[in-house]
Amino acid sequence: MEALAQSLEGGAINVWVTSSAWLWPLLEILHFFGLSLLLGALLVIDLRMIGFFRSIDIRATHALLPWVFVGFALNLVTGILFIFGDPLRYAVHAGFQLKMALILIAGVNALWYAWKIHPKMQNWAADEIPPRLAKGVASVSLVVWTGVLLLGRLIPYVSSG
Amino acid sequence: MEMLYWIEESAIALWVGESLWGYPFLLSLHVVGLAVIVGLTLMLDLRLLGFFEALSAQSFLPLMKFAWAGFAVNAVSGLLLFTSQASYFATHAPFLLKIGLIFVGAVTAGIIQHNLRNFQTKNARALAMVSLVAWGGAIVNGRLIAYF
Repeated sequence: MEALAQSLEGGAINVWVTSSAWLWPLLEILHFFGLSLLLGALLVIDLRMIGFFRSIDIRATHALLPWVFVGFALNLVTGILFIFGDPLRYAVHAGFQLKMALILIAGVNALWYAWKIHPKMQNWAADEIPPRLAKGVASVSLVVWTGVLLLGRLIPYVSSG
Repeated sequence: MEMLYWIEESAIALWVGESLWGYPFLLSLHVVGLAVIVGLTLMLDLRLLGFFEALSAQSFLPLMKFAWAGFAVNAVSGLLLFTSQASYFATHAPFLLKIGLIFVGAVTAGIIQHNLRNFQTKNARALAMVSLVAWGGAIVNGRLIAYF
């Protein structure tokens, strides 16, 4: 991992990201916009799927999914640029590694949703109380993403290694 | 100014500023609160601008209570963060701009929700745009606090 990080240091993207004083803060601002989109859309989808706010048509919450992906894509791109901008720091950072592990769990959880729950949603009523599996997947999603946010904000304060 | 120095020297401000976990813990809480407030508000704004019309705009009313809970979390965590550097923040342009924009955003959210409760659709798009600019601007200035 450290060898890989070493190879990024001084590369074209590394130089570009670190060359101007305003680019890093701009990327951070975009990263904050991305996390707001991602969590905002997921809160609507997941809270309803857990069983709260039953006045909301559960099938319609689905229309918010593209915004989860927009937020995720924005943060994937800006996040990768952070890594290119400071590879040696992230390569050995425990908080960052834990954050990535949580995102991986969120990804597997999302696949589980796409495979097991999404296909059945067409048959649900507007005021459906979702089955236990759906409630579980939605709960895992909210807990894991909250953890990602908490860890992400701790990265500047947790020591490396 | 006297009072700001007094705040900075209070026991709570010293805990926030000097304990190992005080400041990072509050910042982490602050970003979760931010995502709840801005995230949910953003979704309602997008809906008012004409996206995902399958979901009724009224659906968002109960969710906005959740957003206000996030607002309360951030008012408290923000106030605690403020105490640690009160005299600095009180004269710092990005911080003051951020607070002004949050005020505009909160008032706009109140108007939008009032209109939704009364099925009033007048100026819905314009209000959604004001909300987007205010909350987006609050994030921009919040982040700039660390740089300017």
